Amino acid sequence: MSHMKELTKGLFKENPTFIIMLGMCPTLSVSTQVSNALGMGVAVIFVLTCSNIFISMLRKVIPDSIRIPSYIVIIASFVTVVEMVMHAFVPAIYEALGVYLPLIVVNCIILGRAEAFAGKNGVLDSALDGIGMGIGFTMSLSFIALIREVIGAGTITLFPIGSFSGTITLPGLSASPVRVMTLAAGALLLMGYLKAFFTWKSTKGGKA
Amino acid sequence: MTRYIKTAVTLFLISAVCTLLCAIVNNMTAPVIAMNNENDRVAALSAVSTGLTIGEEMEGDGGAVGYSIPLTDDSGALAGYILGLTANGYGGAMDIIASYAVDGSVMAAKLTTNSETPGIGKKAENDWYMEMFKGLGADSPIPVTKNDLPSEQSALVSGASVTFSGVTSALRAGSDYVKSLGGAV
Repeated sequence: MSHMKELTKGLFKENPTFIIMLGMCPTLSVSTQVSNALGMGVAVIFVLTCSNIFISMLRKVIPDSIRIPSYIVIIASFVTVVEMVMHAFVPAIYEALGVYLPLIVVNCIILGRAEAFAGKNGVLDSALDGIGMGIGFTMSLSFIALIREVIGAGTITLFPIGSFSGTITLPGLSASPVRVMTLAAGALLLMGYLKAFFTWKSTKGGKA
Repeated sequence: MTRYIKTAVTLFLISAVCTLLCAIVNNMTAPVIAMNNENDRVAALSAVSTGLTIGEEMEGDGGAVGYSIPLTDDSGALAGYILGLTANGYGGAMDIIASYAVDGSVMAAKLTTNSETPGIGKKAENDWYMEMFKGLGADSPIPVTKNDLPSEQSALVSGASVTFSGVTSALRAGSDYVKSLGGAV
């Protein structure tokens, strides 16, 4: 399998959110604003890539009987690192992500890729798998957040740069938003529609 | 037996390396985090002081009121208090810094440290959220539930009732504390 395939499979073909259906908890909870989704995505890319590399390096050293505790220790360490760095240097994103940042430890994507891929493959492929899956997760999360925020609040929240406040307000929608989209029920509804769309799309593609 | 020892040593070494990594990063980030927290606190105190002079910090009641700071006007007369309040939110403890007039009415408030749900409970960080309580606490009571709010304000806090209850109970406790001081420093 080519290295490029390891990198790109997480984007669409094995997208962790829409195809493998992993990491649903942060997907549904953090996708209320685009900036939160991007912040969470960057944190997951870092943790996923670093933990995949570390676990792949140690795969022949870690006894099979303690592989899960070892993976958890490694993943928790990188989550702690990313939490401390975000708290120090991007406190606004750290505050916005709240409890979901430390909960990356139990994100199924991280442990899933460690168990299914990094524990059985080389360092380079594991790193590319982590980057690809992380980017795929970030894309999905940002896409869901964009739809939820636009419909549910009539805004698009990015990051303030210079004179740009970071928030784009959409006239009309911001005055009378569909508030249920910002709630958990709206997230579940949207996720159901998107999953149905991607399943239909992949089935149709398979027949063609 | 050897297999168990080897397994234990392996897990210990992995944990030791991970701990070392966390310790190094903590050593680099802890001073920055402490400085950010202090800057946030000073900014919050300044924001809720409403232009009055901030005095020396004193201990609170040991419950919801962590500390109190008297506020004085230009003539040096006592004009109110800033209180550091602790509330229970959906995501755990929340810190609120609020200023009160001597009669116990809220002058300004700000939600600082919290772990509320992004986009839902975290709405309480916005200025418009705390504006709802401005002037309440003396003659007009601070609302207990969102049903006590006008319909347009009730819709704004919809979906975050636990956060709302936490904030209002802390503000009520602060108001009662200020009234109990009776204008004393």
